Amino acid sequence: MMVREWRLPALMMAAVLASAAATGFSGAGISATGAGTLAAPADFAHIADPKARSAAYFTELGKVLTNPRCTNCHPATERPRQGDEARLHQPPVFRGLDGFGLDSMRCGSCHRRANFDPARMPGHEAWHLAPPEMAWEGKTVSQICEQIKDPKRNGNRTLADLIEHIGKDTLVGWAWHPGPGRTPVPGTQAQAGALVEAWAESGAACP
Amino acid sequence: MKWSAAGGIVLSLSRFAGAQTPDFLERETLPGRGVPHPAIGRVDGVAKVTGAKLYASDFRAVDLPGWPAETHHALLLRTPDASHVYEGLALDGLGADAKPATIIAAEDIAKIGLRVPPFYTGDLFCPIGTTPLYLGQPVALLLFDRFDAYDRARTFLRDNPHLKFGAETGPLTRPNYGAFRFTRVAGATPDAPDLYSPIQEGWISPGFVESSGRPVWQVLPDAKGADYVKGATYGTAIRDELAKPAAGTLVLDRSFATQSIDPMFLEPEAGLGFYEPGARKLDLVLGVQSPFEAAEAIAYMLGEAVPDFKPASIDGKFCYVGGGFGGRDHTPFPLYLTLAAMFFPGRPVRLAHDRFQQFQGGIKRHAFKMRSQIAVDRASGTIAAFAADHVLDGGGLMNYSVSVAVVAGTGAIGMYNVPKVDVTTVAEHTRGVTAGSMRGYGTVQCLTALETLVDEVCTTLPLDPIEFRRRNALKVGERTLTGNPYSVSVRAPEILDKLDGHPIWRNRAAEKAKAPAGVLVGTGVACAAKDYGTGADCSLGTVEIDAEGRISIHSDAVEMGNGIGTALANRVAGHIGGIADQVTVAQVDVFDALGLVKSGDPYSITQAEQDAAAANPRWVPEISSATSASIGAHVGTQAASEAARVVFRFGLWPAALAIWGIPAADPRVNQSDQAFWQGETLIFSGLPPLSLKALAAKAHQQGGVTGAMTHAFSRWAWSEATFALPGGDWSADIDALAVRRGSGAFQVLDRKAVAFPPTDYNRIGTSFASMCGTTLRVEIERATGKLTIAKAYSVVECGQALVPEIVLGQSQGGFAMGVGQALLEDLPPFEEGPGNGQWNLGRYVVARASDLPLHDLEIEILPPLSPREPPKGMAEVVMIPVIPALLNAIFDATGHRFQSLPVTPQMIKGVIG
Amino acid sequence: MTALSLTINGRAIGPMEVRDDLSMNDFLREVLGMTGTKFGCGAAQCLSCAVIVDEDGASATRPTCIAPAIDFNGLTIRTVEGHAAGGALTPLQVSFIEHFAFQCGYCTPGFLNEGQVFLERLARDPIPRADLERTLTEALDGHLCRCSGYVKYHEAVRAVVLADVGRYLT
Repeated sequence: MMVREWRLPALMMAAVLASAAATGFSGAGISATGAGTLAAPADFAHIADPKARSAAYFTELGKVLTNPRCTNCHPATERPRQGDEARLHQPPVFRGLDGFGLDSMRCGSCHRRANFDPARMPGHEAWHLAPPEMAWEGKTVSQICEQIKDPKRNGNRTLADLIEHIGKDTLVGWAWHPGPGRTPVPGTQAQAGALVEAWAESGAACP
Repeated sequence: MKWSAAGGIVLSLSRFAGAQTPDFLERETLPGRGVPHPAIGRVDGVAKVTGAKLYASDFRAVDLPGWPAETHHALLLRTPDASHVYEGLALDGLGADAKPATIIAAEDIAKIGLRVPPFYTGDLFCPIGTTPLYLGQPVALLLFDRFDAYDRARTFLRDNPHLKFGAETGPLTRPNYGAFRFTRVAGATPDAPDLYSPIQEGWISPGFVESSGRPVWQVLPDAKGADYVKGATYGTAIRDELAKPAAGTLVLDRSFATQSIDPMFLEPEAGLGFYEPGARKLDLVLGVQSPFEAAEAIAYMLGEAVPDFKPASIDGKFCYVGGGFGGRDHTPFPLYLTLAAMFFPGRPVRLAHDRFQQFQGGIKRHAFKMRSQIAVDRASGTIAAFAADHVLDGGGLMNYSVSVAVVAGTGAIGMYNVPKVDVTTVAEHTRGVTAGSMRGYGTVQCLTALETLVDEVCTTLPLDPIEFRRRNALKVGERTLTGNPYSVSVRAPEILDKLDGHPIWRNRAAEKAKAPAGVLVGTGVACAAKDYGTGADCSLGTVEIDAEGRISIHSDAVEMGNGIGTALANRVAGHIGGIADQVTVAQVDVFDALGLVKSGDPYSITQAEQDAAAANPRWVPEISSATSASIGAHVGTQAASEAARVVFRFGLWPAALAIWGIPAADPRVNQSDQAFWQGETLIFSGLPPLSLKALAAKAHQQGGVTGAMTHAFSRWAWSEATFALPGGDWSADIDALAVRRGSGAFQVLDRKAVAFPPTDYNRIGTSFASMCGTTLRVEIERATGKLTIAKAYSVVECGQALVPEIVLGQSQGGFAMGVGQALLEDLPPFEEGPGNGQWNLGRYVVARASDLPLHDLEIEILPPLSPREPPKGMAEVVMIPVIPALLNAIFDATGHRFQSLPVTPQMIKGVIG
Repeated sequence: MTALSLTINGRAIGPMEVRDDLSMNDFLREVLGMTGTKFGCGAAQCLSCAVIVDEDGASATRPTCIAPAIDFNGLTIRTVEGHAAGGALTPLQVSFIEHFAFQCGYCTPGFLNEGQVFLERLARDPIPRADLERTLTEALDGHLCRCSGYVKYHEAVRAVVLADVGRYLT
């Protein structure tokens, strides 16, 4: 139900409206913060088995990786998806040779340097599709875990690279600030990075 | 044209004569005298490829001579909730730089004496303390001095809640908008009169409703409802027969649901208004399909307002429209533009939907739920009886719901001749976005149900689908569901022969057999007969020729892409040889010379009232009607065509006789109908060819008729009148005529005799229909359910195609819209639907080029049966058979019959496993 | 507010101060009055608002409804109003008219710009005839038209290519 959350306007509840008014309407169930949280590594300390604990870190991280913010542009086909409903991208665009679209319609034609909120248009200077081997669409957290550890399917990254990529990369970071009309992934990018780090340091076990 | 409407407000409407040019009329008339343009193409071609200001959304105050330079902006706020009590605005979140200068809400308009035009009955704004009547109902109009403030507010309010709601009440219930029962029982033989029909007995409605609001269709004794009891008794007998079929009779009983869709014309509704309080003049720039109606509705709204809100005059300037498809016909949008202007006196104000707002507030297609029952004699393969029950979701305002219900009800047996028919229909109020006119208008829905049902009959009997249709197709002269025959050609046999002979249909088994692994192949066929016209269609037209042979045309029809301007030019050229270089459309203010008056409602007037009114030679049943209902070619060009005939017969032909030197006693004087044009040269056997230029010069020189202005009215038949002209009486399918001699002024002629179509023609469901058939082949990917249209063929008949390229283009566009309705487009009802204000393209998917068989779509236009066959409406019928043909092809491929639209890849995948 | 300068149809515009969140579409339509560029969806779905951006020796279309005006600072762009030089229609404009490519015409500016970019791309980098249909569909597929069913738009662009195969095709 989370995917529809931003479309259930708090409109109908005066109480919610009042709280929104108190915060200058910034919430609205639409933007920036609050749509889901991530647990911290410490929250898993009660799991005694190191392997199970490591897998639990990844399961938690899976809330991010299987979110439409991520899977939409890690598509299973040549065509990305769009929106919280993960509908096929309109207009029809395709990966192209470099992941940045076909000659006739490049990602950057519309997705510019940053979000343009008046048009609900997401943007980032490196907006592009993940390569086919990094497709996550339709996969389970376990499958993604095995995939993300495999240098052949993760862009030849080490575990340390993954900590950096998920915890610091600004295109990845966009998923926490997707602009109005899209639900952000849970938690913060730093929290996600911490989970990757904890997972890597605990043996990178998969759920 | 100027006329006074309610409250004495003077109305005038003009083709918007635009901007940035001192000589605007000439510049805004297309293609324009002296403007270079390709020899072939639309009259608006050059304007449209050069980005000329044409559409209502193009104009700002600075573009209008005499207006203040600055444009102000209006924002219409609508409710996304229709289940809780509305408690007012909460705009505190708006920044100081986004504050409106003025806010108009229910309490404001309550003070000024507005009247809501009957067609739009319902609160213009939801009053505080009540539950909104429907999703998307306006709650307030915000007026901004500056664009920047408007722009900030628009974005902020789109993304942030700003309406207060209180207690949950659930949605409001309202009575249904209308309920009808159409029953016909044919006589024992084809020649025998019907035992019962709507034409004979009138239309009937049930006298009772359940507490839920549903009509009670059963026969109940009711002293007031004798008419209903009589019809319903026949209807009940048909139902009984369907429930207990005779041996050898196949009965199928199926349900079908069609979805709500958006017309999705590409230009969102927009307009510009300016009220000058000094002159008490309201100027409006609008793009609608129904200019005359819009002006009348506005005048009614303000007609009894307090002085500050009652203009002395309203000048409506009507533009080219960026797509219509019905959705701009009788839309409430002009009322809100008017309010914006009246509450911002002295300041030009623009109201323009963005796409979210257009989805939230624009007119939608009715969603239908239909139950259909059909009885077929197995031995003969003929339909013995048919019954259907339609329930329409009309949304929040009545709009055209009753009319759509009637069109669907009376069109429910499509192209077939069925001796026993019983159809009930009810259009319901719901809290959904208002549904109204859209291309296909009830027929898209009922014929999708019918043609998929017929396909199932054919596979069940079994009988070849084309052969089944041959055996059951209505033939010319046979009676429709309402009991009248079509009064136009009926070309089912040719359409069926064309479909039968087409390789797509011929090769269906072979193609299926050679389907590659992982692919399902299926072929489908379907036909549609679609009414055109509304039963009160009007046409105004003027044709003038100058001494150089240059032709000007004025018409009241609206150009919404349908090519009406080009059709006018071509149809007129058929009579007077030359293509006009000045065509002006959407115009009502240049027909003053006719001095037309009207009274009453053309649909409900009695015969006695009509007969009495007709004694006034200026009276007509209606003056101007909407450009809709596929009437562009048939109605929109009628008045100009008749005007051109007058110019020829009483201007150019006498000029020809004079040049040829033919004496008055020569029999050839009366043989004008033997002459014909080759381009701009008049040919008459045995006489020297004459150029249009020479004829025009001579006509001017001898004071012949060089201009004619006419009005035509159709109630399933044209009005006919006789006028005295020099050279003889002239009888034609028009009811008003003014002529110009030489370079003089237009002078109206009193009609010597007139015959308006009888008022009981209002009982006719339709008497004009055109037909289209489609066969197509689909390929379905087993793994994904993805459907590709491999090849498609549509054959359409439309009498004389005035502009064949545009008929072809409309057919291609209709095919695309059919594909959208069948496979792509969907607006869920209520809170998840467009009324929530969060819908845009992307979520709402319409057909793109890649969804269509661009290289494998063949359209065949049947030539007219006779050179005398007039044009027939075709722009709706071409989209209809595409939808059931797709569903029938999907069945052929998958073995599954879907009973709702749209059919998505997920649904297909679900049934093929 | 940010200072914006750009070149539109060969004419230098600015510098002028514009709001950072003013869309390019509103800059063209509301500020400059250049309404040939349309507003259809505001979401880069229909591309009726697309203009040609001439950048780095190549040209591409870009929708104007989803980008801030300041994103176009320093750029050279062309709009539908700029195709016909001195009133003489381009071959593509003529082809659109002669093929009855459009009906209501509201999507025409976008198709015209896209078609023109397509022709210029082929002129720089000709393609085999066998690739023409696929490439053409890819090029135009982002543009929505509700009237025409697209067939005649494709015919019109294709006709310009086939009228000069030496220029556009290998």
